[in-house]
Amino acid sequence: MAAYALLRSMSSSFSSVLPLLSRSGSLSPAPLAVKPLFRRTLASSSRFSAALKFTDKHEWVRVEDDGIIGTVGISNFAQEALGDVVYCGLPEVGTQLAQQDEFGALESVKAASELYSPLTGEVVEVNSLLADKPGLVNKSCYKDGWLMKMTIAKPAELDSLMDEAAYERYIRSIED
Amino acid sequence: MLQLRRTLALLKGETGNQLARTGSSLPFLDSANNSSGLVLQSQSTDVYQNLALEDWIDAHVDLQQRGILLLWRNQPAVVIGRHQNPWSECNLPAMRKMGIALARRRSGGGTVFHDHGNLNLTFFASKKAYDRKRNLKVVTEALRRLRPNLDVRATDRFDILLNGHYKISGTASRLSRKSSYHHCTLLHSADRSALSTVLRPSCPGILSNATPSVPSPVANLIDHAPSLAWEELLEALVQQYNTEFGLSSVFTLVDPSSECVFPGVGNISTELRSWDWTFGRTPKFRVETLLELRDEHLPARCSAQLQMEVKGGQVESCRLDVPAGWLPLWLSRQLSDVLVGERFCPHRAAAAVTAMLRAEKGQFHSRLNNLCEAVLAMMG
Repeated sequence: MAAYALLRSMSSSFSSVLPLLSRSGSLSPAPLAVKPLFRRTLASSSRFSAALKFTDKHEWVRVEDDGIIGTVGISNFAQEALGDVVYCGLPEVGTQLAQQDEFGALESVKAASELYSPLTGEVVEVNSLLADKPGLVNKSCYKDGWLMKMTIAKPAELDSLMDEAAYERYIRSIED
Repeated sequence: MLQLRRTLALLKGETGNQLARTGSSLPFLDSANNSSGLVLQSQSTDVYQNLALEDWIDAHVDLQQRGILLLWRNQPAVVIGRHQNPWSECNLPAMRKMGIALARRRSGGGTVFHDHGNLNLTFFASKKAYDRKRNLKVVTEALRRLRPNLDVRATDRFDILLNGHYKISGTASRLSRKSSYHHCTLLHSADRSALSTVLRPSCPGILSNATPSVPSPVANLIDHAPSLAWEELLEALVQQYNTEFGLSSVFTLVDPSSECVFPGVGNISTELRSWDWTFGRTPKFRVETLLELRDEHLPARCSAQLQMEVKGGQVESCRLDVPAGWLPLWLSRQLSDVLVGERFCPHRAAAAVTAMLRAEKGQFHSRLNNLCEAVLAMMG
């Protein structure tokens, strides 16, 4: 589970190399070949690497290469807990959000679950694929099922979020 | 027994000073020991105030150690789910005529009709304790104790069916930061004729990804248990809630409009009443429909095709294909242009087209007027 999450955090240029991992998280041998590169990526500027940071509400944010935009989605833990998403209620482009503001809701057979902004910034793009395919949030929560992109008005806020290892520990603690 | 008598007295409207009796002006904010629960009954029948109360409790009360049951009912209102389209779910013109309000709730799910014969139950709990099946068991067990011959069962969709066929309860819920609420309706003695009149689409030809309702035949409990009184039902539900969750609950009547007890609740109900929330939050949709046009003077008829995109409750684009022989193309295009940017609302649209109609004094006035009326009628 931890290895799966770590591989998922690789920069987008490797996404074509990585297999499209299914919900059950099975791994094939191919990704192991790129492991050394991953270590090099970690060593470079930590704030602007393609690593995911997580909130305690199970949202993730990935800082894009320019360091100005963050892509936001929900974690695998969250999508499993939600069940099949039937509707994604997302904000309008231009919406100003403070960290922890409610920015929308995902409706599943389980409930309407509020979404909370991981950072302060402005919404610059919303995933239009989700209008017709809300299930992408379940099938591909770290890739095609991204929810929105926003500016990072206060980069220091990234330091208050959990890295993947800390998030894994967090999940284990709440599952107990 | 004493607790039951007190509860019954409270249900009959003998309010006394319940808040003082519990020793605090805000009993729900006190952290309580685990065996005492809280049952609240709203004194308001205003749907927006009651929905606001739900959101207030969810945001302000610590639900990690204990849950709350809220009982409420409303004057006639249609309540749509968080991501639904009111124009496809309910008959807005009929509702205006009948004085029936429209509200959009924050939980998901489908459209329901509320009136004095419908009881709403909201089960507040932590996210960990969120359990709709267990909550509905409170309802079905209470009903079975009251009338052992009643066949009531909860389904996989968390409806409650009577005799395996008639829906007497529908469910919806919301999960937020740390807490959850699950609310459901319960048809005791609702006006079924009003229900079936209003739960019909206003506007034909809507194409949308909004969450749809699943229509079901409904029944009232009193249709099958005529002697079941409202107070009797409430008492049984409260008792069963205590039994199911192993509690001895404090029962309190609450006024959801009280800023003293619920500071900030007024802002929540204001937002819920707003056009921006109720209509403006409708997921983007498209209308494709034929308008039947008539010229009384000739007489003559024709059909015009209308295509509209509506985003945030406002007309984003409009295309009117009216045969050129009926109205000059520039006139139908002008009407389209006037509508873009206006709310998808017959009143706003009427105001927008008024100037245009006044300016057109010539031979096309009556046909233009007829076209405008057809467009407005389509908007509900």
